[in-house]
Amino acid sequence: MSTRTPTIDEDDVPQTMMNRLPAGFKPRPRRAHQLEQTAGPGSPSRHELSADMLVIGRGSAADLRIESDDVSRTHAQLQRVDDEYTIEDLDSRNGVFLNGLRVHAAVLRDGDQLQLGDVVFTYTEGT
Amino acid sequence: MGFFVRFWGVRGSIPTPGPRTRRYGGNTSCYELRSDTTVLIFDAGTGLRELGISLLRNPPRAGLELHLFLSHPHWDHIQGFPFFGPAYLPTTTIHVYGSEKNENYQLLSGQMSNAYFPVAFKDLSARIVPRAFKNDVVQAGDFVVRRFDQKHPGGSAGFRVEHEGRAVVYATDSELDQLLTDPEGPSRNPRTLRRLPAAVVAPMKNADLLIADAQYTDEEYPKRIGWGHARSNTVVDLAIQAGVRQLALTHHDPMHSDRDVDAMVLTASERARSIGAELEVFGAREGVTLRVDRE
Ligand SMILES: [Zn+2]
Ligand SMILES: [Zn+2]
Repeated sequence: MSTRTPTIDEDDVPQTMMNRLPAGFKPRPRRAHQLEQTAGPGSPSRHELSADMLVIGRGSAADLRIESDDVSRTHAQLQRVDDEYTIEDLDSRNGVFLNGLRVHAAVLRDGDQLQLGDVVFTYTEGT
Repeated sequence: MGFFVRFWGVRGSIPTPGPRTRRYGGNTSCYELRSDTTVLIFDAGTGLRELGISLLRNPPRAGLELHLFLSHPHWDHIQGFPFFGPAYLPTTTIHVYGSEKNENYQLLSGQMSNAYFPVAFKDLSARIVPRAFKNDVVQAGDFVVRRFDQKHPGGSAGFRVEHEGRAVVYATDSELDQLLTDPEGPSRNPRTLRRLPAAVVAPMKNADLLIADAQYTDEEYPKRIGWGHARSNTVVDLAIQAGVRQLALTHHDPMHSDRDVDAMVLTASERARSIGAELEVFGAREGVTLRVDRE
């Protein structure tokens, strides 16, 4: 049993802050980032993103599989860093286009349109 | 192999955090040009802080070796330096490039003097090496970098960066509109091609990518003459005259929202099309990486 008297040290700071929370404060619900496929084989479909890393491609090793000849076996990867997703082209044949611009990689933002071959996704940022 | 360009800060003049600028980004000037073995950094605006974080995620065992080029010492091009994590590691080497006198080195350190910032420049643990251009050319790792002068209050340098037959030009803070062969041309007819002297066009010649200050619309510019920045339409015309393949509009005005930048990009690409040029125009956006060595 601890009989420690409360002192203000660094360990106590979070608790001190909790005690000062305004009445009614509560953490906001989280909503997952999403990819919505709007064109190409398999569309329409919606994918909630939760993995730290996933591969989009035609091959069996892909996490998000797309049955299109325009899509490379491992076409692109999505990686989550600081709760933002970055898409990166994995040397695909047809490239990754962000709102019409061919990119090697990009941190995704709400409403971005991604095109991989004949496949089109819209990215929705969660919270 | 590999010639990548990443945008870390594309905002002009002052950082603009907030929802209006979330997509293109609010950090001030910072651009990373990288090959498989060399990292070049152009300008040290607030975008540099996040580049530092990214570099420290997977630092090479031997330490980071970085090449830093500064267009000029206005705040929005140096302000990120005191927050650049790698500068605090003894394993880091930073080559800082300037003119023969290399005043850039002093200017970087000036903002870290006593009253402005709590850490002194001399206390940075990294090895910071002043480097000079010779006849406006320097070799940095496996890149060749050429500098050229631009029209800007206090002066600014542009850079042409070459690697295995590909060229990227970084030309920010440049008031092209004060260099036009016919300065009254745009007010007589904004649609006619705005010609620039051969010496201004030469550094951009046949670049694969031109990253250029395009801060103002035609409508805004008359109230901003002498502020040191270009009309985006004039930049389009420069790119066309130089035979550039891709044009990134940048140094976005702090007043411009993401939608304003979109509108500017649309106007600019419409202009390129109406002149009949095969020029791809887009807005430089934080967090985007392009690969220049393909096609
Ligand atoms: Zn500037
Ligand atoms: Zn400036």
